[in-house]
Amino acid sequence: MATADETSFSRAADRLGIAQPLLSRRVKTLEEHFGGPLFDRSRRQITTTELGMLLLPYARDVLDRAQRLRQAARSARRSRVCAVGVPADCAPAALARALRAGTEHGITFGMRELPPLARVSGLADGSLGYALVRAAPEQAAFRVPLGLASAPGADGTGSGARRRTVHLEQLRPRRPRTAGSAAPSPLLLLTEDQVPYFEDRLSRTAARAGLPEARIRPAGPAATALAETLAGRALLLCTEPFARQHGAHWAPLADRALHRGYDVSAAPDRNGAGELPGRLAALLAAAVGAAPARRGGPEPGAGDEDVPARLAARG
Amino acid sequence: MSAPAPHHPVCTGDDGALLDVAEAIAADWAALGVHGSFLARNIDTGEQLGFDVDASTPLASVVKVPLALVVLDRVAAGELDPARPVSVDPGTSSVGPTGLAAFRHPATVAVGDLLLLMLSVSDNAAADALLDLVPAADVDARLRAWGCDGIRMRHRMNHLYECAAGAAGNDFSLALELAVRDERTGRHTIETLDPAHANAGSAAALVGLLQRVWCDEIASPPATAELRRLMGLQVFTHRLASELRTDTLRWSGKTGTFLHLRHEIGVVEADSGDRVAMAALTRADRCAGLAADVDLAIGVAGREAFEVLRG
Repeated sequence: MATADETSFSRAADRLGIAQPLLSRRVKTLEEHFGGPLFDRSRRQITTTELGMLLLPYARDVLDRAQRLRQAARSARRSRVCAVGVPADCAPAALARALRAGTEHGITFGMRELPPLARVSGLADGSLGYALVRAAPEQAAFRVPLGLASAPGADGTGSGARRRTVHLEQLRPRRPRTAGSAAPSPLLLLTEDQVPYFEDRLSRTAARAGLPEARIRPAGPAATALAETLAGRALLLCTEPFARQHGAHWAPLADRALHRGYDVSAAPDRNGAGELPGRLAALLAAAVGAAPARRGGPEPGAGDEDVPARLAARG
Repeated sequence: MSAPAPHHPVCTGDDGALLDVAEAIAADWAALGVHGSFLARNIDTGEQLGFDVDASTPLASVVKVPLALVVLDRVAAGELDPARPVSVDPGTSSVGPTGLAAFRHPATVAVGDLLLLMLSVSDNAAADALLDLVPAADVDARLRAWGCDGIRMRHRMNHLYECAAGAAGNDFSLALELAVRDERTGRHTIETLDPAHANAGSAAALVGLLQRVWCDEIASPPATAELRRLMGLQVFTHRLASELRTDTLRWSGKTGTFLHLRHEIGVVEADSGDRVAMAALTRADRCAGLAADVDLAIGVAGREAFEVLRG
């Protein structure tokens, strides 16, 4: 067909991206198959023979059908469910928006709630196409404020109710310790926050804020942790939607380095998939209550105090 | 973080009530992630309570007490003039946050006042200036001669800084992390945290020393009297003194703080005549430069011990 359109073997071979001798051999095979020449090669410019002209519409039809077959196969391949690893306790409405938007892009998402480390390994072993992966908030594309949930009414942070943020230093027990007063409430960590980098960072920050390491504990099942929190016996580290949904009082941690950070990552070597369109990534992140991260200046760090003096024996 | 191997402190107490207090203090410390030893003894009755009292611990600045006693003994013997001027140059002096160690300009201070700076504000440069006059080996030999077997003086104060900076390159957080990690593994990256190489002592040996100082049973009375006076001038009150601050009580002590180590030794004397010597030597499992709750727990221990041991 290309030869008929171009009236030249060499131009047709160019268009098809094959070598001219190969094209000539294929035309020869066809001519042997149909029992007569399809092209008249006697002149400088080749012309299509009567037999060729007769077969041309049929050939066009066959090629069109083959093309449609290829397309059908491609779209069937694309509409396979693409598993997306998301944290537990996503907002269902926001997940639904991401599902709908995926369909508009011709991708059928399947949401799978997994703990943070399982989402990373899922990407690596190919069981997940995409995942919301935890990252340090200052480097992450999306950021979710973390705060402390406490029993409503009783402000477990020990500060005035009007205070907007919680500083870990506030959680130190107050002096004088009244006789018989209960032990200070433990700070519970949900599965979503049991990520090595985060636990490390929290334990350092808590130590610097004067809290003993034993104050921070894994929450276990979220329902039990919430019950303890609502009963005023624990402080739960969680996001605002999660706390509000269960009727707990919530105040964000003032230290933004302790907030959750997320990147939307794709599985490596996923042929054809690659990066998720930005809008879809944003919708997925919204399901965990994330806002696009503001990439600000350097975090406020320890001032330039006299380092040698700190390393020396003191008092 | 991994849980350290559980250590059950061996409590001592002269009767059931004293043992109960010792156990309560040990439990209170353990809840804060603090390991260590504690001993309190009524100087006059000999009644005592504590736990792990013979564990050898790096002393940090607590070692300035036996150092001061040896220097004061030399002074009392007429071998060292307390008025002798000593020049301290910031360019070459020892590192520290207080006293001459924090000076930016050369100063000349008399031996007697170096002792004051060393004990009142824990001045490292003053301590090392005194160690220039009475070498650490001489101090150690003197302690041996006095029978203070549980106390070892092996190095200058600046050696603490040199070893920490050598291991962690002037990074306080890293040094602290090394110290806490090494406590779990038992292998010491910072040599001065290894009781076998550090200026080290046990609670029992330190309380024994304090008791002899307060009873004039060591060195000579002028030396022990001056040591008692200087220890009464300490400015730090955040540890053992914190719960013993009334006009009816007098605290004479010396703190020691280095990375995760928080110590204090001293004697509380009441208007009523009760005298209790105590030593709290602690190691925290927390990477914090300041830990007010640990200091307070040490203070609470001191008060509870004093109240149960006084007549």
